[in-house]
Amino acid sequence: MITPIKALRKNRFKTALIFMSMSVSIAAIFLISAISGGVVSMYSAMLKTDGDIIVTQKGIADTFFSDINRSMVDEIVQIEGVREAGALILGAAPVEPLPIVGIYGVSENRFKSYTLTQGSTPKNGEVILGSKIYETLKHPKTIILSKQKFVVSGVFKSRIGFEDGGVVMNLHDGGVLFHKSASIFLVSLDDLAKSDSVVIKINALNPDIEAKTTDSFIDSYNQFKIIKTSSDVIGAMAFLMGILGIVSMMSMVVNDRKTEFGIMRSIGLSSWVIIKKLLAETLIIALVAFSFALALSLGVLELIEHADKFQGYINGEITVSLALNVFVVSVVMAMLGTLLPAIYAARIDPMTLIQRGGA
Amino acid sequence: MRIQAKNIEHYYGIEHVLRGVDISIEAGSFTAIIGESGSGKTTLLSILSTLLNPTSGEVTFDEKAISELGNIDVFRRHNIGFVFQFHYLISYLTLRENIALSALDEATVEPLMESLGIGRLAARYSDEVSGGERQRAAIARALVNRPAVVFADEPTGNLDTKNALGVYELFKRFSQEGTGFVVASHDKKIADYADTIIEMEDGKIVKILKR
Ligand SMILES: Nc1ncnc2c1ncn2[C@@H]1O[C@H](COP(=O)(O)OP(=O)(O)OP(=O)(O)O)[C@@H](O)[C@H]1O
Ligand SMILES: [Mg+2]
Repeated sequence: MITPIKALRKNRFKTALIFMSMSVSIAAIFLISAISGGVVSMYSAMLKTDGDIIVTQKGIADTFFSDINRSMVDEIVQIEGVREAGALILGAAPVEPLPIVGIYGVSENRFKSYTLTQGSTPKNGEVILGSKIYETLKHPKTIILSKQKFVVSGVFKSRIGFEDGGVVMNLHDGGVLFHKSASIFLVSLDDLAKSDSVVIKINALNPDIEAKTTDSFIDSYNQFKIIKTSSDVIGAMAFLMGILGIVSMMSMVVNDRKTEFGIMRSIGLSSWVIIKKLLAETLIIALVAFSFALALSLGVLELIEHADKFQGYINGEITVSLALNVFVVSVVMAMLGTLLPAIYAARIDPMTLIQRGGA
Repeated sequence: MRIQAKNIEHYYGIEHVLRGVDISIEAGSFTAIIGESGSGKTTLLSILSTLLNPTSGEVTFDEKAISELGNIDVFRRHNIGFVFQFHYLISYLTLRENIALSALDEATVEPLMESLGIGRLAARYSDEVSGGERQRAAIARALVNRPAVVFADEPTGNLDTKNALGVYELFKRFSQEGTGFVVASHDKKIADYADTIIEMEDGKIVKILKR
């Protein structure tokens, strides 16, 4: 283990360049995965704590476009096994100076899911603000939404970044603001095992609505798929860039060290020994770069989380499984990037040493 | 081991540099190849040591053609040593580590360094020792697996007379212990140490002197 470190120290400048190129790639993979994963898990968490079944307009691409008749909630509550059902309007609007803020219109029975830190639940013409946006807007008494003034009646705290950066009003005001009856219903059950049969019963109520368990809703939610796909694509690009960086730097390293590998060949060390040697060297860089990129990413995520600009919407998390996955990706990246230059090194003809004679 | 070259012809492009060379080398002998610059010494040495394939003719080790020797890396590691004009020690490794690089048995490294007079330099790096010491380390690296033959091309080309004679002395000593040496050199003084002197001219062996 000591020899590869000596070799790396000897070639410090190039070692540093390889380290930096790997670190940047790995950090990019970490950040894009953490941020997209954070968005998805935050929204999933919100939906999951809120209900076991989600009802939307049938065939809708996004819950923002969903429009269903809130009176159907009363029919759903009647279904056997349903503990509670509430209607929700999901919207977004600018709130000076913020360009876009999540607005939630919720039915009376859902106010209890917001923990108020001050004030009271909103009546008509009132809103409660998430603590984050309350701070960002510097403790406003009123806010303007679509030219309409709302009195801030309270402040709530939520672990979920979306909500903490959002505005909550009652269903009536939400309906007026966004010209719809309801976006979705959230249904809680007495017994999760009955969820399939309840889904069937809800779907039978009206051909225009579609009920899904929260889990299957999350699995099939288009926005999540888009987020995941783009993050995968960007991650793959970062991976390829990392490999290309390693290939080009390692090719230079091999060229610098031609005599070293020529000597090894001439004294009968096999090609495989040389390949292993170079792989060991990049592997060590990869381990250090991985640790560095992990620390860097955690730092950046921490900064983003506390940046007012993002209102807590971006809340990346690096889970142990993400870290493990990225670790494997880093190792594979180092290996693939080194393989070609290493094979080239292993094929250096010792004859070059003989003909050169001098230095 | 007996290395034989039969009717070797070699061309670099259209340049005909070896013209029907026959030579036989025994383990435990010390053969010097001398001749004018450009006479083909390095080329012959490269062919004998399996580093270069001749245009025609055959090199055999104990009557076996190179293609019958099995894995050539393994064969080289066990049977052939090289000393070049330049030491080519790896600069980030100590002398000891350089010599141990190909050692089949690490325990042989230190006694060998002692016997070459560089034992106390084991932990030094190549830029921390003299030219003669570097070349002795390179010789130790070639000898570490006690190969049947060590090939050396101008091994004293970068050394002063005193160090050069020291190197020939070493070759003589180790050849008496059973390792064969084939040394290409401009230096006429090598003749005082070698037991066979082969003189080349224009790609041909013109004289073989045995003592
Ligand atoms: N790689 C090569 N390509 C083309 N010609 C070569 C090559 N190597 C050597 N030659 C030519 O082959 C001839 C023999 O070269 P070689 O190196 O074997 O001579 P030498 O006896 O070792 O010379 P010196 O004493 O200068 O080292 C020379 O004319 C040289 O120019
Ligand atoms: Mg020569």
